[in-house]
Amino acid sequence: MSWLPLAHALAARQDLPVPAWLFAWGASIVLIVSFFALAAAWRKPRFERQHWRALGAGFSRAAVSMPVQAVCGLVGVTLLGVAVYAGLRGTEAPDRNFALTFFFVTTWLGFPFFSALLGDIFRPFNPWRAFGRVAGGAFRLVAGQRPAHLAYPERLGRWPAAVGLLAVVWLEIVYGSSGGVAVGLDPHAAGVAALVYSGYTLAMMALFGVETWCERGEVFSVYFGMFSRLGAFGVEDGRLGRRRMLSASTSWATIPGSAAVVIASIATTSFDGAQEGAFKGAIESVFESLADAGLGLNTALRLTDTIFIALCFAGVALVYLLGVRGMRTVQGAPSLAKLRDGFAHTLIPIALAYLVAHYFSLFVFQEQAQFGYLLSDPLGTATTDLFGTANSGIDFTLLSANAIWYVQVGALVFGHVLGLVLAHDRAVAYWSDYRQAARSQYWMLAVMVAFTCFGLYLLSVSNG
Amino acid sequence: MSYKKKLALLLVALVATLGLSACGGSDSGEDTVSGTFEVLPAAPAGYDNLSGEAKLTRADGGTTTTIDLSGLEPDTEYMAHLHTGGCDGAEPGGPHFKFNPSGSEEPPNEIHLSFKSNGDGSDKAEASSDKEVPLGEAGSVVLHLADGHEQMAALFVHGGEDHGDDQAGDDHGDQSHHGDESQQGEAEPDQEQSDKIACAELEGASAEAAVPTIEVRNGEPVGGIQELEFSAGEEIRFKVEGDEAEEIHVHGYDLMKDIPAGGGSVEFAFPAEIEGIFEAELEGQGVQIAELRVNP
Repeated sequence: MSWLPLAHALAARQDLPVPAWLFAWGASIVLIVSFFALAAAWRKPRFERQHWRALGAGFSRAAVSMPVQAVCGLVGVTLLGVAVYAGLRGTEAPDRNFALTFFFVTTWLGFPFFSALLGDIFRPFNPWRAFGRVAGGAFRLVAGQRPAHLAYPERLGRWPAAVGLLAVVWLEIVYGSSGGVAVGLDPHAAGVAALVYSGYTLAMMALFGVETWCERGEVFSVYFGMFSRLGAFGVEDGRLGRRRMLSASTSWATIPGSAAVVIASIATTSFDGAQEGAFKGAIESVFESLADAGLGLNTALRLTDTIFIALCFAGVALVYLLGVRGMRTVQGAPSLAKLRDGFAHTLIPIALAYLVAHYFSLFVFQEQAQFGYLLSDPLGTATTDLFGTANSGIDFTLLSANAIWYVQVGALVFGHVLGLVLAHDRAVAYWSDYRQAARSQYWMLAVMVAFTCFGLYLLSVSNG
Repeated sequence: MSYKKKLALLLVALVATLGLSACGGSDSGEDTVSGTFEVLPAAPAGYDNLSGEAKLTRADGGTTTTIDLSGLEPDTEYMAHLHTGGCDGAEPGGPHFKFNPSGSEEPPNEIHLSFKSNGDGSDKAEASSDKEVPLGEAGSVVLHLADGHEQMAALFVHGGEDHGDDQAGDDHGDQSHHGDESQQGEAEPDQEQSDKIACAELEGASAEAAVPTIEVRNGEPVGGIQELEFSAGEEIRFKVEGDEAEEIHVHGYDLMKDIPAGGGSVEFAFPAEIEGIFEAELEGQGVQIAELRVNP
C-alpha cells in the first residue's frame, strides 16, 4: 500500500486549493492590517466590561424560562436518541446514515458557527445537561435534599474538555481505518461512542454537579461555549440580553486549562486540513516506516495520525507560548501564568476562522442532506419517508469555487483582525504604560501572523 | 512610533502587496495545438509546392487561429475553416467546428479564415474568437478555394436540398455532384475534383486522443490514482477500461456506469457543472481510481 487515499466518508466533493494569486492577496492584506494594528489608537481597554443590557423585559425572561428550557432539553435528548439509534441500527453507508452527519457536521460544526452569532445556544439543547438536571430534581424529590457533590479539583480546570476535544476529533478522522486506509468512522461505532460518552458525562455530572461539569469537563459545552463568547447575546440572572461584541471572551480563560482547549481546536483543524495536503508526504513516510517495523497497517496508520495530531498541538502551543514568553520580556509585564491565561481568548477568533475556512463548504452541502434525505430516512434503509424528502439530493452548484475561496480567505483575515483587537485590548488592560503595552503586542502580532499565514498556506496547498 | 515611521511601514506593506499580487497575476494558462498542411489527394492541380502551418492558441478565455502558407496561386481568394475531425478518411476534416452545435454556420459560431494570397503565392491569416474552443473538438484546419466553396453552396440550393442543414450535408453534396462533373473533362477550369486543397491536422487535439483512459487491473488503477483536470463548463470525458465487472461511481456528480462481466470499457461524458475535487471509484470495492478536478 503505497498511498493513503483520502476518505472523507461524507464529502462527495472537496474544495479546490486557494489559487496562488488569492493566497498572495490574502497574505498581503494580513500584513497591511497588521501594520495598521501597530498604530492602533485606543489606550483604555474597551472589552473588559460587557455592558450587558436585557432585551425587552418580557422576552428576556421568557426566552430562558423553565418551559422553554424543558422543550429545548427534550428536543436535544430526542435528537441524540435518534442519532444513536440510527447509528446502531441504520445503514453502514456513512453518507446515508443520520448519525454521522448529525454528530460531525450539524452539531460539531453548526454550533461553533451559530454560537458565535447567537450566543450559547447549545446550553438549553445539551441533552446530558437536561438529563442531569431532571435526575437531580428527581433525587431531590425522593431524598428530600440536594445531591452532595465532590469538590471539583480547580487545577484540573478545563483540561478534561481539551483532552476530550482531541479525542472527539481523533475518533472522527483517525479511528476509522481499514486495511491501512482511513475510511472514516462508521455509523455503528459513532452510535457506540455516543453511548459511552453519555455514560461518562452523566457519571461526571453526578460526581461534580451538572453545571460544574458543563463549565469545565463536558467537551461540547466547553467547546461551543467558547465560541459563544464572541457574540453579542448572553444570559445573566435568568435574562437574555445584549452585550458588547467580543467582550464576554475576555473572562472566558479564567479557568485553568482554557488555553489548551483553544489550542486543541486550532491544532485539530490544522491536522485535518494538512493531512492530505501539507503533511501528506510526511505522514506517508512515517506510516511506511511504522508498517515496515512490523505494526499492523491499521495500528500504524492510527499511530501515525495520532503522532501528527500531537505534533500539531505541540506546534500551536509552542508558537503561542513563545509569544507569551516574548511579552514577558517587556517592562512591566505580569507573571508568565497570567499572560498565558490572559491572552488565550485572543485565539478564539482564529480558531473560528480556521473552522469556517476548512469546513464552510462541507457544512453548506452536508446540511442539505441533513435537512433533506437524512431527516426523512434517518436509518438510510429506504424504509421511511417522514417528511417526503427521502429522495432529495445535494445541490453542489450552490457554491462556486470562487465563492468558497473568498469565504475562506475572508474568514482568516477577519479572524486575524478580531484576534489583534482582543490582544491589543488585553495589553492596554495589563500594562499601565501605553508604550510598553504597544511593544508587547509585537509578540502577539507575530503569533497571529504566523497562525493566519499558516492557515492560508494550508488552504493553498494542493491536496492532490 | 513616529508618524513618519508608520507611514514608511505602510508603504513597505503596500509595495509588498503589489509585488506579491504581480507574481500571482502571471499565472494565466495558454495552450496551443498546431499542424502542418498536407495537400489532399483530391486537390485541384497546381498545389504540389504548397506548404504551411496552422496553429490554434487558447488564452484568457479566447481562441486565436492562425495559418501561414506558401505555394498558393498568386492573387487568389481562399477560405480556411476549423473542422472537428482529422485529415484522414473520405471526408478530410469532417464537419465544421461550431461553438453551438445547433447554431449558425457563419462566424462567430464557426471559425473561418478568408484571405487573398500575395503576388508570390504566400500569405498569413488570423481569426480571433472570444470563446475557447474545447481542445478535443479542434481537429483540423482545411483550406479551400474561396470560389469553389461558394459555387458548391450555390449548387446545393439549386439541388433543392435544405441548405440550412448541417455542414455534413454540404460535404456530402460536394462529393456526389462534383465527382460526376469532373469526369466530363479537365478542360473546364471551374470543375475541379474538389475545392478542398489542403488539410492541417492539429496535433494532440483530435477527439480520439483527448479522451483519457483509466485502466483498472485486479481492482486497482494502473499507475495509481489518475488525476484529470477540467475547467467549469467544459465537457468532462474519460474512459474506464476494466478487466472485470465493476460499477464506476463519480462522486459529487453522482454518476454510475457498469463495466460488464468479463471486462470492457465505459465512457463518461458530462458537462463540468460543479467546481471542486471529486473522486471516481470502484463502487463495490470502494477503491478510488481517479481524482477529477474542476477548476472555475
